[in-house]
Amino acid sequence: MLARMAANFYWLGRYAERTENTARLLEYQLTRLVDTDADELALGWRVVYRALSQSPPQAPADVDEAEAFLIADAYTLTGGLVEDTTNPASMISCWGMARENAREIRPRLPLPVWVCLNQGFLWLQETEFADAWGEGPGALVSQAIDRLRLLAGVVDANMARDDAWRFLELGRYVERLQQQVLLLDMWDRIARPDGDGLVLSWADLLRVCGAFEPYRRDRSLTLRRGSVLGFLMRNPEVSRSVRYATDRIGSALRGIDPAGGRPPLAPPHRMVLRMAAALELDPGGGEPSPDGAPAEVFESLTRDSRTLHGLIQASYVDYPVTAGLPS
Amino acid sequence: MSAVKFVDHGYADPDPAISAGSGPFRHYELDAAFHDELFHEDGTPRARARRLGAALSRIPPEDLERLQDGVYRRFVHEGITFTVLGVEDVSEQIIPIDCVPRLITAEEWDHIERGLKQRLTALNLFLRDVYHGGKSLRDGIVPADLVLGCPQYRIEMRGMKVPHDVYVAVCGTDIVRAGDTFAVLEDNLRVPSGVSYMLACRTAMKWAFPYLYRAYGVREVADYPERLYSTIASLSLTGEAPRMAVLTPGRYNSAYYEHAFLAGEMGVDLVEGRDLVVHDATLYARTAAGLRRIDVLYRRIDDDFLDPVAFREDSVLGAAGLFHAYRAGNLVLANAPGTGVADDKALYAYVPRLIRYFLDEEPILANVETHLCREPEGLAYTLDNLEELVVKEVGGSGGYGMLVGPHATKAERKAFAEHLRSDPANYISQPVLPLSRAGCFVDGRLEPRHVDLRPFVLQGREEQHVVPGGLCRVALRKGSLVVNSSQGGGCKDLWILRE
Repeated sequence: MLARMAANFYWLGRYAERTENTARLLEYQLTRLVDTDADELALGWRVVYRALSQSPPQAPADVDEAEAFLIADAYTLTGGLVEDTTNPASMISCWGMARENAREIRPRLPLPVWVCLNQGFLWLQETEFADAWGEGPGALVSQAIDRLRLLAGVVDANMARDDAWRFLELGRYVERLQQQVLLLDMWDRIARPDGDGLVLSWADLLRVCGAFEPYRRDRSLTLRRGSVLGFLMRNPEVSRSVRYATDRIGSALRGIDPAGGRPPLAPPHRMVLRMAAALELDPGGGEPSPDGAPAEVFESLTRDSRTLHGLIQASYVDYPVTAGLPS
Repeated sequence: MSAVKFVDHGYADPDPAISAGSGPFRHYELDAAFHDELFHEDGTPRARARRLGAALSRIPPEDLERLQDGVYRRFVHEGITFTVLGVEDVSEQIIPIDCVPRLITAEEWDHIERGLKQRLTALNLFLRDVYHGGKSLRDGIVPADLVLGCPQYRIEMRGMKVPHDVYVAVCGTDIVRAGDTFAVLEDNLRVPSGVSYMLACRTAMKWAFPYLYRAYGVREVADYPERLYSTIASLSLTGEAPRMAVLTPGRYNSAYYEHAFLAGEMGVDLVEGRDLVVHDATLYARTAAGLRRIDVLYRRIDDDFLDPVAFREDSVLGAAGLFHAYRAGNLVLANAPGTGVADDKALYAYVPRLIRYFLDEEPILANVETHLCREPEGLAYTLDNLEELVVKEVGGSGGYGMLVGPHATKAERKAFAEHLRSDPANYISQPVLPLSRAGCFVDGRLEPRHVDLRPFVLQGREEQHVVPGGLCRVALRKGSLVVNSSQGGGCKDLWILRE
């Protein structure tokens, strides 16, 4: 397939995943508005904003970040992540970018996929945020999640498992890898439940990641930092674990470029294998030590995932013309 | 939106009792100055329209509203749009679609089809002649300076062998109906657009009027992409399964939807200039697995932008060296560069002469009366009758750069006269055409509106095919004769009846 279209499928996957990730974190935070005290809510907003790489709300110079979230109201904080078209990371912006990428690949995109994506975007664009908030703070985000899940299902049901699909998968899981590592890092760093003062629970982290039930079945009801982080890092069956994302990236790459998966390894393949090895060989083993800070692991994974993105672009999209000539 | 129920309102049972000016057609005002395609002058329905009229009279207005809304929503959700470039932003707009089909009988269509085939054959022969010796110019059939001075004349094509002598593989000819006859208003031989709207309208109408469609026995157009593919592929020099692509200027182009649609339906890549590389006089597309050769390019960008080396050097839409690959015989372009010289509005006036010259036949389809301002008598006539004429730039399109005399103010006519005097060769004039009117559903009422028609003709290596349908444009503003979508026009489905 055309290199440009491969890039469009890749970015469609990334933006759709990014939209869904934002919606999921918002859903978590908005359901807590009912029965959570202000300080804890502010902490939750701080984690959500940091996990989405968003700047804190504007506040006077002498106000620190934690307090800035205490001052800001939920309506404004949510709006900035949902309907603010000037924010490139808002849901409407990301959905719009997914749609723009889809427009470029319409000849390769099944009509039901386009219609579902387009209808969802037009729905969000036409929805008055203030009116939707009036129906309940989490109503709009919940509906958005439903539409995004519908889109995922329509994609799954209608797309052939060809290179278009593989690049879509590649984008989706590179995005998930980066977002997931950032979320774990922020949760552990800012809201460490085992630390002093205000905390967010490990159970909530598992729920945000859709991993609470699998964890309970696989481990126990006793939630410890090392166990939860280890589960979300290395479990191969939980769809939001870091391991799961790297496995899917590796699988997509092997389909796109089978020769690159054999020695001499193509650069993207090499990087994915390196990340997989780092996860397996993490000195913490199955569970990081209770007091150990896996920040270095997160930093390394973040750096590697960014490098991986660059290698994918360089290998399949922006390669030098001379390298692409038929032999 | 409420769900639309498909109810057979007795479509198979024509009701001769309907008439213009009464019942559901009470707002349908006939005007003797214009041919009406639904009703005779006395208000009784034409034979072809009895079934349609009966169906429309039996559908409750609120159901018609829902159908119209349903069709509109289909277009919105499927993204059947055209792009409008504003001063500050880019917007996608839906081309308005009217849910009442236009009907053309088999006999009328046979006449149009024969005329279109004849016209395209002559124009392809003329183009070959223009770039290979110009006998028709030397024989005085067309003034040589008109051709050689035309901005669309490509000296680079002179003496070049075009595959199978097919310069124009895809043609869209604008046809109007005045009275009982059809006439050609304009030939579009470069990158004619609108065929995707024809197909989208048809899909929507089948959804909206399934029983009526079946009862009428309408000729099918759905195989157009397949025919387009086989037509263009037949021009290939490399064999049975050439590697084909559609070249688009990109998603900001007004016809981008059509480019994407056709590429998707034909199962070929939709490429932009940035996807293309020319190496060793061969065109390649950048794929995720390296460069892949392209043998045939259905290009939807103008000549000027095809190749910055051969044509406009500031073009970023084409590929450097593309024309070199074409000249080397390693690439087929459809349509060929330089075809615009034959669809210039001044050249148009000479097409009947070209038909007689090249085919030794009388034109089957007439031209509209045209005055060439490049000729002194044509200029004088135009200036003397400006109030009654439509004046057009010879290279203009989309309804821009024209003056509609009867609707212009005195000051506008005076200013336009100055343009005419300073550059007369740039203009032609024609009488205001009494475009026929077809039934439309506008603002909850059944009313007549002016329509035109753009059928599409495909010219392959050996076969010609006229699509039994076309883009039917409609002036949705009451009284307006301007059908361009950029100026308040919309479209409707055209049904060519089998019998």
